[in-house]
Order: sequence, then C-alpha cells, then structure tokens
Amino acid sequence: MSQNQQSGDEASAESESLITTDVQPAETNRRSRSATILETRDLSVYYGDDRALTDVSIEIPEHSVTALIGPSGCGKSTFLRCLNRMNDLIDACRVEGEVTLRGKNVYDEDVDPVALRRQIGQVFQKPNPFPKSIRDNVTYGLEVQGKSATDEDVERALKGAALWDEVKDQLGSSGLDLSGGQQQRLCIARAIAPDPEVILMDEPTSALDPVAASKIEDLIDDLAEEYTVVIVTHNMQQAARISDRTAVFLTGGELVEYDDTATIFEDPADDRVEDYITGKFG
Amino acid sequence: MAVDRERAGAGFGEVSRVKGVAFRYVSFGASIVGLVALATLLVYVFIDAFDLANTNPVWLLVYFLTLVVPFIGFCLYSAGDRALTRRTALVLGGGLVATAVAFEAIELLITPIPRLTWQLAYLFVVVAPVVSYVVFVGAQKPVGATGFGLLGRTLGGAVLGTAVAILFIVLDMRLWFLVFTLGVVPAGAARAYGRYRGSGRALGLSIPVGVLGAVAAVFLRDVLRTYPTPPFIFIWTFGAPIALAAGLFVLNRGGTRRSAAAVGGVSLAAAAVGTVTGSSALPEGSAVLVFAAAAAPLAIHLHGVLDAEKGRVGLVLPVILGGGVLLGAALVGAFGIPGPDPWLDPGYLTEAPSRTAVEAGLYPAIVGSVIIIALVAVLSFVLGVGAAVFLEEYTADTGVVGAIARIIQINIANLAAVPSVVYGLLGLGLFANLLGFGFGTAVTAALTLSLLILPITVISAQEAIRAVPDELRQGSYAMGATRWQTTKKVVLPEAMPGILTGTILALGRAIGETAPLIMIGAATTVFSAPSNVWSRFSAMPMQIYAWANFPQAEFRYGVVAAGVVTLLIVLLSMNTTAIIVRNKLERDS
Amino acid sequence: MSDGAGTPDLQRPSSLTRIKESGYGGVFVACAAVTLLTTIAIFATLLSDALFFFSEVPITEFLSGTEWSPNPRGGGLSFGIVPLVIGTLTVTITAAFVALPIGTLTAIYLSEYATPRVRSILKPMLEILAGVPTVVYGYFALVYITPALQATLFPEMRTFNALSASLMIGIMTIPMVSSISEDAMSAVPDSLRQAGYGLGATKYEVSTGIVVPASLSGIASSYILAISRAIGETMIVVVAMGAQANMPEVRSALFGIPYIHPAEVLFDSGMTITVSMVQIAGGDLVGGTLPYDAMFALGLTLFVITLIMNVLSDIIAERYREAY
Repeated sequence: MSQNQQSGDEASAESESLITTDVQPAETNRRSRSATILETRDLSVYYGDDRALTDVSIEIPEHSVTALIGPSGCGKSTFLRCLNRMNDLIDACRVEGEVTLRGKNVYDEDVDPVALRRQIGQVFQKPNPFPKSIRDNVTYGLEVQGKSATDEDVERALKGAALWDEVKDQLGSSGLDLSGGQQQRLCIARAIAPDPEVILMDEPTSALDPVAASKIEDLIDDLAEEYTVVIVTHNMQQAARISDRTAVFLTGGELVEYDDTATIFEDPADDRVEDYITGKFG
Repeated sequence: MAVDRERAGAGFGEVSRVKGVAFRYVSFGASIVGLVALATLLVYVFIDAFDLANTNPVWLLVYFLTLVVPFIGFCLYSAGDRALTRRTALVLGGGLVATAVAFEAIELLITPIPRLTWQLAYLFVVVAPVVSYVVFVGAQKPVGATGFGLLGRTLGGAVLGTAVAILFIVLDMRLWFLVFTLGVVPAGAARAYGRYRGSGRALGLSIPVGVLGAVAAVFLRDVLRTYPTPPFIFIWTFGAPIALAAGLFVLNRGGTRRSAAAVGGVSLAAAAVGTVTGSSALPEGSAVLVFAAAAAPLAIHLHGVLDAEKGRVGLVLPVILGGGVLLGAALVGAFGIPGPDPWLDPGYLTEAPSRTAVEAGLYPAIVGSVIIIALVAVLSFVLGVGAAVFLEEYTADTGVVGAIARIIQINIANLAAVPSVVYGLLGLGLFANLLGFGFGTAVTAALTLSLLILPITVISAQEAIRAVPDELRQGSYAMGATRWQTTKKVVLPEAMPGILTGTILALGRAIGETAPLIMIGAATTVFSAPSNVWSRFSAMPMQIYAWANFPQAEFRYGVVAAGVVTLLIVLLSMNTTAIIVRNKLERDS
Repeated sequence: MSDGAGTPDLQRPSSLTRIKESGYGGVFVACAAVTLLTTIAIFATLLSDALFFFSEVPITEFLSGTEWSPNPRGGGLSFGIVPLVIGTLTVTITAAFVALPIGTLTAIYLSEYATPRVRSILKPMLEILAGVPTVVYGYFALVYITPALQATLFPEMRTFNALSASLMIGIMTIPMVSSISEDAMSAVPDSLRQAGYGLGATKYEVSTGIVVPASLSGIASSYILAISRAIGETMIVVVAMGAQANMPEVRSALFGIPYIHPAEVLFDSGMTITVSMVQIAGGDLVGGTLPYDAMFALGLTLFVITLIMNVLSDIIAERYREAY
C-alpha cells in the first residue's frame, strides 16, 4: 500500500492550504460559466411553525463545486436536503417554492422522490457505510435500481473515490473495518457508483482527522470533472479551497450572498458576509 | 451561629449510620430472597427427578472425582489464572468442611432437613456455583471456547435436528420431498446462478420458480405413487443441503476449496451413517437429519480450531467427560456401589404416559410441544416483525397514520397485560368454536399462543429496529432506495440479532403456558404422539398439570419432578441460545 | 456522466414496482392490524357469550350471589361471583404482602446501593423469577411449600390452600414491582440526590426520604401492574389451591366491624375467578350451555378488571415520565 507516500502528499497539501484563506485555486472560474443544472426559486422550508429557510433562489452550474457556508442553524443543511427531497422523510417538514433539476421541478406531483434520489447522490457528515462488505456497499445503489453490478462498476466507483488501491484485495470484508477516512471515501464510491448527476455532501470532512479530510478535499476537486458537487461546510478555508461558487447563509435561513468563491472571500457585497468571513460574527 | 462554631471546634461529630447499614442489608436480603427461594425449590425438584436423595454417598464421591474434578481442572487450565485456581481449591475444600459442619449442626440443634444430606448440600451449594463460575471464566479463553464450542455446537445441532425430525411426525414427508425437489432446488439454483452471473433477472425469478414448484408438488402428491425410502428423502432434502451449506460457509469465511470440501464431506458422511442407524421414537430415517445437523457445525468448528492454532487442547474436553463417565462406571461396577434410579432417563423421554409411575413417559407431550412451538415460532415471528416494521418504519408521527400507530401502540401495551386464561377463552370461542379448528388441536393451540406472545414479540422487535442507527436509513434512502428496499436490505439485517433474541425469549413464555391450553380443551394426557396438526395433543406443561393431580407419591415427587426438570432444561437452553445468538451476531456485525 | 442534457426522467417507477412496494406496506399494515383485531376479537368473543349468560342470569344476581356451583351433579345451578371474588382477593392481597415490600426494597437496593456490576448480574437473574412457567410454581407450592409449612409453622393447613399459592404468586411478581419501580427511581435526577447530600443527609435518608417520594407514581404504577398480574394468575392457584368455592364465615368483632378470620381463608382451599374458569373448561366444552357461557362472563369480568388496572397504571406512570 502506498499509504505512507500518500500521507506525505497530504501533509504538504495540508500545509499549503493552511497558509491563508485567500489563496485561490488557480482554476477557480474554470467551470462557472457552464449550464445551470440545479435551480431553486423562492424556496422556503418550515418545520412545523418554525421557518428554517426563507425564499432562497440560487442557480447551480453543471460540473462545479458549490459550497454552502454559514453559522450553525442557518439552514444550509436543510437547503441541501431539499435538493434530493430527503426532507420528505421528516414528518413536520413543509417545503414551498421550486427546485428544478435540468428544468424539471422536483416537487411536482408526478415526481417520485425515490427516482430523484437516484439522480442525486448524497454523502453524510458521519461516514455511514452499511454493515456489509465493501463490494455490497458499492453495488447497493445499482442493486436497489434493479441493475446488476459488474466487477468493472465496483472498480470504477472505487477508483473514482480514490479507494481502489487500498481495498482492492479485501472487497469481501466489511465496510466497517475501514478507517474513518476510508469509510467516507467508501460512501463517496457508493454515491457515484450509480452514476448520478449531482452529489450532495453534508460536512463530509467534519468527523475526520485533517489528513483524511484533505484526501477527501482532493477527491472533491476530481469529482467536479464528472459530477456537480454541492457541499455544506462550516469550515471557510475549506470552502475557499475547493469550491467554485459559494453561497453564504445567515441565521434565519436567509441566503445573503451567492457568487464566485473568489468574490465572496475577497470582495463580498454584503457587510454581514464580510463580518462572518473575517470572524466578527457567527 | 455561636453554637455551631462551638460544635465545629469540637470536631464534626458523627451521624449514626446504624439505621442506614441495617437498611442496606435488609434491602440486599430482599433482592435475593426470591432467588434463594427459587434456587432451593429447584434443588429439591432436581433431587427428586434424579432420585439423588437415596443415593449412596460413595457413588457421588466416585463421580465427583472422575467427572467433576477433571472437568473443573479443564476449565481452570483454560482460564490459566493461578489466583483463580487457588481460590477454587480453597472454596471447594473449605466449602466441604463448612457445609458438613453447618449441616450437621442444623440437623442436630434445630431441625432435621428432609431429603437432603450434607453431601448433596455440598454439591448444590458449593460445587454447582463453583462449576458454573469456572465454566463462565474458562469458556472465554481459547481452550475453553474450543471445548465448549465443540460440545455446544454438536449438542445444539443434534437437538435442532431432532426437533425438525419430530415435525415429520405430523408433516407429510413425501410432500416435503416433492416441494423440495421441485420448488426449493430450482429456486436455490436460480438464486445461485443470479448471484454468480450478477443477473438480476435470475435472482428475481427464484421466488416465482419456488412457488410454482411448490404448487406443482402439491398437485403431483396425489398423482405420484412411488417415492424413495425415508432415509433417502432425508439425505436428499437435509443431508446434502446441510453439507453444501457447511462447505459454502467455510468458503465464505475464507477457507480453501479443499477444506470446504472436507467440511461438506464430513457432514455428508455423518448423514450417510444415519441411514443405517435406527431411530426408535422418531420417524424412520430421522437419524440422517440428526447426525447431519450435529456434524456440520462440529466440522465447521473443527476447521476453525485447526486453522486458528490456538486452543486446540480444548478438543480433549469430550475425552475428559467421556473418560470420566466410563471410569466412574467401571469403578462403580467393580466395587458394586448402588447408583440412583433417576426418573428422568431416556425411557422417560421416549415413552408414552402410563398408569404406573415407573413406565410413565413424556414422549407425546414433548412431540406436542415441539409442534406447537414450531407453528408459534413461524406465526409470531412473521406477525411480530411485520407489525414492528409497520410501527417503526412505515408510520408518521403526525396525521391519521400517526394516530393509528399510537392507538396500535397503546393497544399492544394493554394486550401484554391481559391474563393468559383470557387468551384461552379467545382461542376457545374464536378458533375452536367459531372457525372450527377443533378443540385442543395443535392449530388452535398455536394460533392462541401466537396471539398471546404477539405483544412481547412486537415490542422486542420494535426495540431491535429502533436500535438500528438512523444514519444507515438515511444513507439508504439517499441512494434512491425505496422504503421496502431500505427495510429489507439495511434495517432488518441489522436488527435481526435483537429480533431473534426477543422471539426466542417469547417462545420460552409460550412453551410454559398451560392455562390457555386447558381453556381450548387440550388433552391432559394422550398416549400416542399426534398424527397431524388437527389431532388432539398434549404439551409438556399440560402433562405436568395432569400428573400433579395424581395422589400417588411416586407421581408427585418422581414423575412430575422429571417433567418439571425437562421443561426447565428446555427453557434454559432456549434462553441460553437467545443470549448466545445475540452476543455472537452482535460481535460479528 | 449523463451529459445528455434535457429533462431528467423523474417519473414514478413502473406499476409493477409500485404494486410491489405498496404490497409490502399492506402486509405490514395487516400484521399491525392483527394486534388491533385481537383486542376486538377478545371483546367480541367474551361479550357475545357473556351477554347470553346475563340474559339467563341477571347481572345483579351474578354480582351479589354468594354461592357458586356451575356444574353440580344433579343439583341446581347457581352463579354468584362473591365467593370467587373473596378467593381472588385472598390470593391477591397475600401475594401483595410478599411482592410489594420485597419488590420495593429490591428496587431501592438496585437503584441506590448496588454497584453497576452487581446490578448487571442481579437484574437479569430477577427476571428469571417471572420467566419460570406458572404450572411449575404451582407444583412447587403443592409439593414442597405446603408440606414444609405443615411440618413447621401451620400444622392445621390443608393440602390445597391459598397461602402456598399466594406465596408463589408473590415471588413470581417481585420482578414486576422491582423493575418498574427501579426505572422510576433511576429516572429521579441526580441533582435531587446531590441536594439531599448537600444538606448532610445520609444515603439511607436520601434513598427513603428523597428518591422514594420522588418516584412514588412509578412505584404505585408497578404495584397496580403486579396486583393485576396476581388477579389474572391461573395455574399456580389451579394446582396448589384446589377448587372449592367457599363462603367464609363473617364474624362481628368488638367494635361491630365485620371481619373474616385470615386463617380460615388462607389455610383452606378456595376458588378464584380463574380457577373456576379452568374448572368449567376441564369439564365439557360444548358451547351454548349455561356453565360454558358463565366461563365467558367470568373472563369478561377478569378482562375488564385487568384492563382498568392497566390503564390506571399507565396514567399514573405517565405522571412520573412527565415530571422528569
């Protein structure tokens, strides 16, 4: 295993990224001009009588990384869960407004949330591999869609999640035997195996140590070549490092500013965003 | 304030603790008084069942030295703890003196203790707890784990095999043969092919193919006239699949093809030996099933032990036990020491009830109990898991569905408190009379008992399902799995150890229930095993109830005690199995 | 990499999948419905036969009659539940004298005094007491307890008597009292205990003066459940208490308060509601006869009593759950 060598790379990546927040990835604007894939219009969410999200309108371009940042409780995770209708699983949750995937409103009557989630994968805060073998974890998405999974599918997904080299000899062992970072990459492999259009990530590195986290960050950059990534993070450096576009939510579920990441971090239009980014607030 | 300061100057003083200490001991005494009472009663019923009261002390001494002491030695060797060895020796030796002195003192000064000698008291008060403790400690180390695993698996397999064989007293073996050949085999083949080739269509086909085959089998049963002999049917429908499963299990665990073949071969060979062995009380050919079911886990265990290279010494445990029994028998025979004449002997388990105590047996009641429990297990498992899945996975907290779910939940809690005799009336009025399933038939009894334990199975299954982390559900739903897919592929496999444990414990409740059986008109005594599920039957607790009313002392103190001990041993092994299942599966996942 | 733009297909899946999905949902609903149907069936079964019974025997006569002889050989039938109620009360009260104090003390020990290790051993062992089949307890009472009591304390005791049966029921219901009471005591927040210790109270004073009063509703709820269980207990009394519906002599005491001498009901055989049901069932089970229907009337009485007690216990238990 090339673990040692890799962790060396990570260490350097880590030290690089720690220098400052306003070092931008060279290719920040590489993809921001592509077509819109996801769009929300006046999206509001209520939990019972409490309003968790207020009139959010946003356009997310294809093949890009969009970061959602903001203080805790600002509704960024709620927003993420609206995109693949995971909020449907919460009884008291009510959604108003529109979310369109390639122009189709996913809250239309004729849309099946299950079919929607097959197009939009999700990675959670805490790694949650199923207590099954690594192979079964990766093939799960294909299996539930009634498709048969080949060994190539497994290899492609694990390679896509940069996990193949570490686990190729133990595909039959339990996914729970992996380390935390490996588990999270397994979850990413699981999400990309059915080849979705969009991958939602809900603070995917917050439960991991810095080395494992930076590996995931590298991976996210690669994923954007093929997928559209929407990532929630409360780590501003991370947002600055990996995203093309950044949306800032503030308390009350309000979208304050949404722009290219460089603009948000260097020259935000809203004072509250500046306060938040410079640490005066939140 | 001034007073306080003065007191402080003279030290803090002391608050009396006498009341507190007394209370502490009283409350401790209260918490064990029930257990002590039960333990005492169990000792007596044990003495009665095995006729130990009239046993020659020398006989006890011989077996103590040839069997018990080497066994304790084995456990201590496995534990490998010198302090424990010293303590055990001290307790055994000191306990001997203490028990003898205390016992004689009580007998002399206070009152004679009926049907108990100091030797027996020593066995039960000192030796039995010591043995269970060293077994507990020893079994956790490799040597002990090997030895007890060997015995436990073999015995467990044999008992399970016997229980399944007993079912064929009422099941149509030939129909089973056809169903297996036409339904189970093709379905299994389709499944294996689907798995191997990654073909979803073949996987999907397996269930329809199995159902079609089973339906065809039911039709063919009336047409076909010639069938293989029972031993062959058992080899084909049980011996071969068990051997195959054992081999695949070894392969899955990372064994080589050769060792998998060896494990499968041993199982199949054991099954083949069964064809030439008679089986008096069971259906013809049952020995095949019993042997295969005992040999397969044994072979798997041996394979694991030989692979592990640790604790192989544990394999001598059967030799120690067998040698101890033989040596004891030889000594007893050589010196002409009379042994006890236990009521609970093989004849008791394989013979029918009788008017004379010596010939009385429990066989038909055991068969009745096994059949009822098998039916109850299937019914209550399906209903219990189904209801629990609905309540945990398919409901909402709010709205109409939420309200219905809450009503069902309250209702289940109340059902759990309904006296069992009332369930008996339900069975009598609904199943026996209204639906015409007959008085005292196995079907009526099984339905009644299933409803009786349903609240327990539902509640325990709910707890198990609730314990599945929500992240797994979220992960599954986010992958675009439907509710049923999430339940089937993620929730149920994860909850299964808990569900199984709860179900086995609930079955333990069902196996001891008597009042509902009386109410539905179960026979107190039947002289032959039931021939089908619609015939009148008896069950172990019913038979105990019947015998307890007999005025003769041999019945009261001998035959019934043997029945009680049998029932309790069954219960104990079920509960132990439940706990082992839970611990094992939880550790695996 | 489904770069092919255009509207994604988010339609509901094929009807087969949908049918399959709702089919499984239906199966689960059906399983859950069985539990509801069971309650309805119990009510319907008991009520239909009981109503028939009450059309023959007036309910006032049933409730106030002092003679119970459902199936006399050649005598008249009489269905007065009073002797059965007295038998049931005798057993229940005696069992409560065993189970309630012992159970409460056990709960206090487990929750306040026991080390975690002792608790983890003692709690499952206590559950064994409730897991032994009741017919076995009945056998113990008849064959071991009664002779032992006759030989030592009460030589005048009959072979079939209420005392031995009650003792066994008491032992059986200990875990019911102890486990629910202990739950209630464990739910008492530690801050209350700390407050007690802070005022210089001893452990004994904290246990009895703070924890027990604070968990009173939980304890009461456990008592009601245990008593309800004792009322419905069948096999112990059937085996050990015999089956003689006695009407004990009511004496007038010094102050004119009528009482029943305990020895008269405890040392003698008697009959509870449950025993009489078993006795009728042990005879002929042909439907439509008056004794057959009487059995359902008794069952209904028993069901209603235990249901009321259970609901009562639930309501009381709710209070301590709300408190913390």
